Amino acid sequence: MKENYLAKWLNNELSEAELAAFKETAEYASYQRIIEASARMEGPAYDPAAAYNDLKAKLTDRNSENKKAGKVIQMRPLRKLMAIAAAIVLMIAVSFWFVNSQDETVSTLYAQSTTHTLPDASEIILNAGSEITYSKKKWNKERVVSLEGEAFFKVAKGEKFSVDTDLGEVWVLGTQFNVEQRGDYFEVTCYEGLVRVNFARVEKELPAGSSFLAINGKVIPVEGPNADVPSWLNQESSFKSIPLKYVLEEFERQFDIEVETRGVDLNQLFTGTFSNTNKELALQSISSPSRLTYDLDGENVIFYAEETP
Amino acid sequence: MNIENHDNVCQEEVFSFLFNAHSKAIFRSIFYKYGNEEKAYDVVQEAFVKLWEHCTKVTPEKAKSYVYTIANNNYLNVLKAEKVRMKYNNSGLEKDRTQESPEYLLEEKEFQQKLDNALNNLPENQRQTFLMNRVEGKKYAEIADLEGVSVKAIEKRMHLALKTLRETIDGI
Repeated sequence: MKENYLAKWLNNELSEAELAAFKETAEYASYQRIIEASARMEGPAYDPAAAYNDLKAKLTDRNSENKKAGKVIQMRPLRKLMAIAAAIVLMIAVSFWFVNSQDETVSTLYAQSTTHTLPDASEIILNAGSEITYSKKKWNKERVVSLEGEAFFKVAKGEKFSVDTDLGEVWVLGTQFNVEQRGDYFEVTCYEGLVRVNFARVEKELPAGSSFLAINGKVIPVEGPNADVPSWLNQESSFKSIPLKYVLEEFERQFDIEVETRGVDLNQLFTGTFSNTNKELALQSISSPSRLTYDLDGENVIFYAEETP
Repeated sequence: MNIENHDNVCQEEVFSFLFNAHSKAIFRSIFYKYGNEEKAYDVVQEAFVKLWEHCTKVTPEKAKSYVYTIANNNYLNVLKAEKVRMKYNNSGLEKDRTQESPEYLLEEKEFQQKLDNALNNLPENQRQTFLMNRVEGKKYAEIADLEGVSVKAIEKRMHLALKTLRETIDGI
């Protein structure tokens, strides 16, 4: 019988012949009974109006905590606000020290990038789907940034500056460089100055205009960059002999889209560039050199190897 | 109201419209997946708080999947291991009382119990899809949209859900 025929049956999508054949089967009666019994079930009670009031009460509480101007939903009478205000004064006093010692976190969602300035005026530009964490309080003593994802760094002159990732560490003195660590992919490119990479307990110095790449724990020799800044700063993603898997993952991050593949060799190497702003163009840039076809359907795209129909 | 004219959800009318339009479906859908009414309610509330706090960054069209994704993620973070023990309301059975024999009612009740157990043992995605379609009357395309997968993937979940339910109930 045809694929997912039970789903099609419920949706009245079976042809008459298919339906007749399905009714002949021994299981039909059981299926029919399950459907009848489930029709009597009801979901849990839910009253949107009451839920909305709950939410408003929550928002009012939050709002009086962080005093965000312009986002106020005033609900409570003044008398209550006074009591809250008194509590806040106390809370602020207590939390001042606490907040100060908290780590700072900056993150980007898919299809987003952002620029963040560190306390010493060093600049970090975060690519899509990335996160950095650092301690504001300890910044003057040690300049350490933890990174998940990809970011470009413009480091102000000063003491040692290091970037921690799950796979390796990067140290620098006043310079510009890009670090990308995603899953088992780790790439560092130095654009200015000198950086030192620590990967699997081996240290390597990267002068300006060179790159370091390791995939799956293996160091892979690569050419240096052929531009002054990473391509993603110019709304493009560039790859040189990189397994297709990582290229498709980057595509997912840049466009916040789900990629599926059918019969595609994900280890084949990809060399090329795709646009981070034009989805159609990007799809063509990926599919034609890899000899793939694709099917774009809203938030999903499916890549097929060209031989398969 | 026409919410398409807004490029964010910071106006209260827009926000409350979206809440009324989507919160129930998101709540039920999270409940069907994880089986705890109270926690499902809380994560949906928290997710709408997030939406309000980040109202400048979200368009009305994206709001539903934004809230659903956050609620779903929060739920996963809170309790990955909690066992599903759902109570379903089976009010229909009671209403039929007058016309049916006690034997029939007992048998139906037993069957309903078997179905409840089988539902509790389904993988969460399949249970969610099955109940959203059967109880909430959502179309495959709507569920696919909420879950961020293809309609075909939802059809597959539905097919497997029904197949597994039957196999469990028939004792295969």
